[in-house]
Amino acid sequence: MSAGRRTFVVISVAILAIFFAIFLVWPMLYVVKGAFYYNNHVTFEFFSANLSGLSSGLPSFWAHPLDWMAGALHNMAEYPIFVSLALGVVVTLAATAIAMPLALVSVRRDFCGRGWMSALVMLPLILPPFVGAIGMKQMFALDGSVNIVLERVFYGITWGLSHVGLMSAPWTMPHVGWLKDAGFWSVVVLTTLHLYPIMFLNVAASLAAVDRSAEEAAANLGAPRWNVFRRITFPMMLPGYFAGASIVFIWAFTDLGTPLILNYQNVVPVQIFRMADQAQENPMGYALVVMVLTVSLLAFLGARGVLSLKPQAASTKGTASESLRRASRGGTALIWLFLGGLTFAAVIPHIAVILSSFTAPGGWNDTVLPAKFTLSEYHTLVTHPTALSGLLNSLLYSVLATIAAVVFGVLIAYLLTREKFLGQGALDGAVMAPLALPGIVLAYGYLACFVGGPLNPLQNPVPLLVISYVVRRLPYMVRAAVAGFQHVAGALEDASRNLGASALTTLRRITLPLVFANLVAGAVLTFVFSMFEVSQSLILAQDASYFPIARVLYKLFDRLEDGPYVASAMGVLGMIVLAAGLLISGRFLGKRMGEIFRA
Amino acid sequence: MIEITIDNLAKRFGKVHALAGVSLKIAPGEFFFLLGPSGCGKTTLLRLLAGFLEPDGGAIRFGERRIDNVPAHKRNTGMVFQNYALWPHMSVFRNVAYGLDVRRVPAEEKARRVSEILGLVRMSGYEERLPGELSGGQQQRVALARALVIDPDVVLLDEPLSNLDAKLRSDMRAEIRRIHDRTGRTFVYVTHDQKEALSMADRIAVMNEGRIEQVGAPEEVYTSPANLFVAKFLGGANVVSGRVKSCSDGLAFVETPAGTLAARIGSRLLVAGDAAVIALRPELIHAAATGEANAVDAELSERMYLGEIIQYQLLASGVELTATAPSAAPLGAHPGERVRIAFDARAAAAFPAE
Repeated sequence: MSAGRRTFVVISVAILAIFFAIFLVWPMLYVVKGAFYYNNHVTFEFFSANLSGLSSGLPSFWAHPLDWMAGALHNMAEYPIFVSLALGVVVTLAATAIAMPLALVSVRRDFCGRGWMSALVMLPLILPPFVGAIGMKQMFALDGSVNIVLERVFYGITWGLSHVGLMSAPWTMPHVGWLKDAGFWSVVVLTTLHLYPIMFLNVAASLAAVDRSAEEAAANLGAPRWNVFRRITFPMMLPGYFAGASIVFIWAFTDLGTPLILNYQNVVPVQIFRMADQAQENPMGYALVVMVLTVSLLAFLGARGVLSLKPQAASTKGTASESLRRASRGGTALIWLFLGGLTFAAVIPHIAVILSSFTAPGGWNDTVLPAKFTLSEYHTLVTHPTALSGLLNSLLYSVLATIAAVVFGVLIAYLLTREKFLGQGALDGAVMAPLALPGIVLAYGYLACFVGGPLNPLQNPVPLLVISYVVRRLPYMVRAAVAGFQHVAGALEDASRNLGASALTTLRRITLPLVFANLVAGAVLTFVFSMFEVSQSLILAQDASYFPIARVLYKLFDRLEDGPYVASAMGVLGMIVLAAGLLISGRFLGKRMGEIFRA
Repeated sequence: MIEITIDNLAKRFGKVHALAGVSLKIAPGEFFFLLGPSGCGKTTLLRLLAGFLEPDGGAIRFGERRIDNVPAHKRNTGMVFQNYALWPHMSVFRNVAYGLDVRRVPAEEKARRVSEILGLVRMSGYEERLPGELSGGQQQRVALARALVIDPDVVLLDEPLSNLDAKLRSDMRAEIRRIHDRTGRTFVYVTHDQKEALSMADRIAVMNEGRIEQVGAPEEVYTSPANLFVAKFLGGANVVSGRVKSCSDGLAFVETPAGTLAARIGSRLLVAGDAAVIALRPELIHAAATGEANAVDAELSERMYLGEIIQYQLLASGVELTATAPSAAPLGAHPGERVRIAFDARAAAAFPAE
């Protein structure tokens, strides 16, 4: 290795080490210390305070074990940490139940309209989740479209029945308080409908990676289809499944936007958000953050552990060209019934948001569809100072974050794939750690560490916002870049050096053009996810002039007259940007898209 | 044209000695082969010449210039990679012109040299194609052109034909030899395919376990292997063990279960009383003429028809032998038949038993 190259490696690794030490390790250590160390002594009281009263009113376990369990469950339902855990588990299971059959069909069956399937499945991802809740609220409110439709349907049926004399009078169904009485489940439904595409990407990718000859061998030995799936296919795809499941779990477990807008307070992220303004003083918040961090880390490391157990596939020589089994007519109908129904359910919030965005204030009450349409919300969007500055702020932050992520991503991918140095594993770990690090935890840590310091977010949150976007999106960027760097096999670069090109020329003319697609995909993902990032934006931006989109949406939502409608217009804009972004990165990454969203 | 001097070159990977002190001289303009089984160190040696690896000891010189600490991109070698390593995002022209770009050759001269070299490899007219649109053989030619166009001091070829099918491979052998002769450059060619080495090389270095076992012209290494490894690796050989009874006139007389057999002394170390093996190529065994020396009786146990030759398994007093004979002059017709066979003592070689 030449001296120049060695200097370059040493300097870049040093810069990265300092960056991660300040913006990743220190905030986390600070929070952990705050949770356990108070008034100069080590304490667990903030954890017990968060859990106090858990055993109150329980009968003796030995005398009445069933009552005890029922009582314990009843008590646990009062505690945000358990509710959040339940939310994560239920959403993961529900997303699995949806994604598994979809993936099986998409990877193994040919049917009429198959080409449309992946686009339809990905549709829910283009909904900024915050905005989805607005749409859901519009649809499922007490006087919302769903209740009105149900009321009319039942009225119509009972009117018919009474007309022929089977009932004395038509029945007016009382409006159901969907969101009021079933807060937990509305969060589950909305989150599941948003996250099943991520599960699908993972399940489909791991299913596609299962060597068909392994299945054929089992079938050849006489195993029936279900047996082949249970004994061969499922175990082989399991590691990939866990990788996706852990991401979905962490996402649901730590999601702030959806429960906040649905006004479901009893989950940890909302509790943490409520404590954010006392981040410096109140150690209860630290304890909550540490609990979230612990659970997320366990989920992440668990999935990684399973992934590392994955047996190395025996190399097989060439696979026979995949011939997909053609679905029968009934099968096709069944597939489309499931896919269609699911997609419809998933896009109800989109539809509601699109409709709201064209609704004049007060124009959508007690009606199924808006009564009055207008374009004024879009006009407001670009004239209203808060809305406009939100758009421009987010644009600026995301562009900065994307540039930084690309530069860092390329540098890190290069260091990880092309150089050997002490601490390479640590660098890899630091870059990937944010996958297990919820945005809310990072933001809270920043608030705790940096308020009053040189990067004080209360004065100017821009540097910390941009840095937090970069830190949290870097894993995706680095993954995309590393995949590219690995794909450009050593020989392609060797050939260039052999012909007399220096390392830099080789990087510029051979490596970068070849990994360009991956870099674009990573950059686009970084950009769109930064634009609509919720938890860090809500917690770190406290001054209205620096509000990014998410914070503006949240504020708009509280404004009674036209707030939700302007928010919807913003949401539609967001959907367009997200759709374009996912389309572009999907085009560049192709089937490897599934590898991006996993543990 | 340049002479390559390799002096006691060593390379370790962890605890594995990939090269254990190799010394070689490759003459200017020579078509030189590194031949050996996988893991013998031949590719390591080639990559050391290219500069992709740094040696742990020893020296490499191109002419008078010591180059083992010169970075790869300043060695002026042209390498042809096993999988061609054509850049998929560049056209044939841009792939070939790349080395000239890096050398800042003016556009006019660049165009002339690229078209000249594409003509030499018979790929004129494909300039604007992308590598993905070419067949394996065409990619091979482009890779060769890319390596040659920069006027390299040395052309390095790393198993360049291993991804081609059998017919194309034999066409390309002649083609590459022709290109070598036309350009007159020093070629170093790595392969595990002895047919390639024997048919194309000026000289061959047979390698094994990080060492060079023998260097010589194809006929020399084939007909006079320096040791048992070379005898067995090149062409294959029957190995008959025994004990040396006496030596005379360059021949060793070895007592074997099949009788006393004579063979050229392959190693000077061999003296009477030593345990020895005779390496005997299958095609040297022929039906014995009446009264011929060096003959034994054998039973024909298997016969396999291979087209131009027939391969036999023979059993001579418990010694198993493989023999081949032209289909036109068979050794025998049926398994179970008894035949008397002989071989020319000067063509077989006796080595110390390992």
